[in-house]
Amino acid sequence: MTAVPADGLDAGAEGADRAGGAAGADGGESYRLNVDGFLRTVNGASIGDSLLTVLRDTLGVTAVKDACEQGRCGACSVLLDGRLAASCTVLAADADGTRVVTVAGLGGAGLARAVRAMFLAEGAVQCGFCTPGFVVAVTDLLTRHPDADEEEIREALAGNICRCTGYGRILAAVRAVQAERGALRSGDAHSSGETQRHGETQRHSDGGPDGW
Amino acid sequence: MFRRGSDRAGAVHGPAHTVLAAVLPPAAVPVGVVPVTAGGTTSAMFRPRTVGEAVEMLAAAHDSGAAVALLGGGTDLVPALRSGERAAEVVVALRRVLELRVRGAGADSLTIGAGVTYTDLAGWSLSPGLARAARVVGSVQIRNTGTVGGALGSARPAGDLLTFLTAADAEVLTTSPRGSDRLPLPRFLAEGLAPDALVTAVRLARPGGPQVYLKIGERQAAYPAVVSCAVLVDRVRHRLTCAVGGVGLLPARMEAAERYARDEVDWSTGTVSSAAARRFGDLVVEAATRITPALPAGPRGSAEYRWHAAGVLAGRAFARCLHVTAPPASGPVGDFAAGGQP
Repeated sequence: MTAVPADGLDAGAEGADRAGGAAGADGGESYRLNVDGFLRTVNGASIGDSLLTVLRDTLGVTAVKDACEQGRCGACSVLLDGRLAASCTVLAADADGTRVVTVAGLGGAGLARAVRAMFLAEGAVQCGFCTPGFVVAVTDLLTRHPDADEEEIREALAGNICRCTGYGRILAAVRAVQAERGALRSGDAHSSGETQRHGETQRHSDGGPDGW
Repeated sequence: MFRRGSDRAGAVHGPAHTVLAAVLPPAAVPVGVVPVTAGGTTSAMFRPRTVGEAVEMLAAAHDSGAAVALLGGGTDLVPALRSGERAAEVVVALRRVLELRVRGAGADSLTIGAGVTYTDLAGWSLSPGLARAARVVGSVQIRNTGTVGGALGSARPAGDLLTFLTAADAEVLTTSPRGSDRLPLPRFLAEGLAPDALVTAVRLARPGGPQVYLKIGERQAAYPAVVSCAVLVDRVRHRLTCAVGGVGLLPARMEAAERYARDEVDWSTGTVSSAAARRFGDLVVEAATRITPALPAGPRGSAEYRWHAAGVLAGRAFARCLHVTAPPASGPVGDFAAGGQP
């Protein structure tokens, strides 16, 4: 398999544009996927293969785990154009032109580093099978809602199943990341303003029915 | 074979059929010839950029005799292809049809493109009831991916959106080679989508009052609801609509209960007696027992359980939409009014 660095996001999108249209499964032609910032050429996969299958079996990307293949367990979670998705519910050929980010592509610094470090520090990893998916989901959550409360955290992680930890250590890891990042951000007026707006939205939209 | 350049509008217009002829194995080719791998029998994918292109590709694929599937978010179709529950020789993937991702508001109505996701809906302030219904669908992963068009195309018996849209008297907008069409949702669900047609949008009235959607089932993030119920109030027209999903093969309107509510509610204040809330739930149970065709008994629980759940959810949703006057001491209606996620 060939892997060439995608020159930033634009290169990935353009490449995919040219490759777009339709695909057949005669094995002679191929399509490209932007995986963790690299343009990967996919040869020989069936057009009906899921992104999960192509990532693992064709491209050898084992940072996504294969468990339920029904979109229920979250072990195969990736970011697809920045949105958390179960890669088993996406057809790989239809992901041509999108940016696919696995846990391996989240980066070695910043929030993703903190999430990984706190999963270790808090003992949120036992067998480790669900961990890549959880790290992607937690990083996605804390990117969108750095100050998510307990209920928001539980709701945001409901699509990821862990059979070992009972979730307690995972929740502790999320709170530890929040504490660490919160300390870093303290005094940052912009961030706290954003958080406040989010809180107001939640209160408004989760409130009871419109009053009479 | 992967087509290059067919995403250029010029290349697709007219040549769309040529493109298909080149890509599609002729229908006569036995399925066995196509390499059968984990991906099943799917041998071609089209990725149109516009509704017009999508309809052309759909029609051409259909004319060739191939089994065609429309791919929205993929949360239903892709696992079904994997498990063999569904087979499609040709997939028309709609991810790149940007015009399907539009949602908009007219003076009286809301129009939601078939490519709009649950996550998009969940933050839509113009329809807070629908937003709340979208927020309790599946997991973040499912909500980010699943689309309105997919909910209509899959037509799950207790589908969250279908139950809500049934109560909302929604219309389904479709496009086919014969032009555009607009169908009431029940007719669309009963007749199904023509094989060469595409759902482009769903249209419903702007909310005219409180709207509550409730459901009951197993772990929400992983499994569809067992029973669901939507109650929508229109304060201007003095009207309340109620739909129940998961009892019949399709969501059903609870017309007797709706008539009862119309007469029973004090429309100037939105007040109703606690006895009326209880009676509303009873009427829903009565109607639920008569829904045909009923879902076959199975892992979704017994029919009796689902009838009962429908009544409880309806009574609870009804009580949340209205001001219920205090129940007599220790009355069972307190249970409805207490609310809370089922």
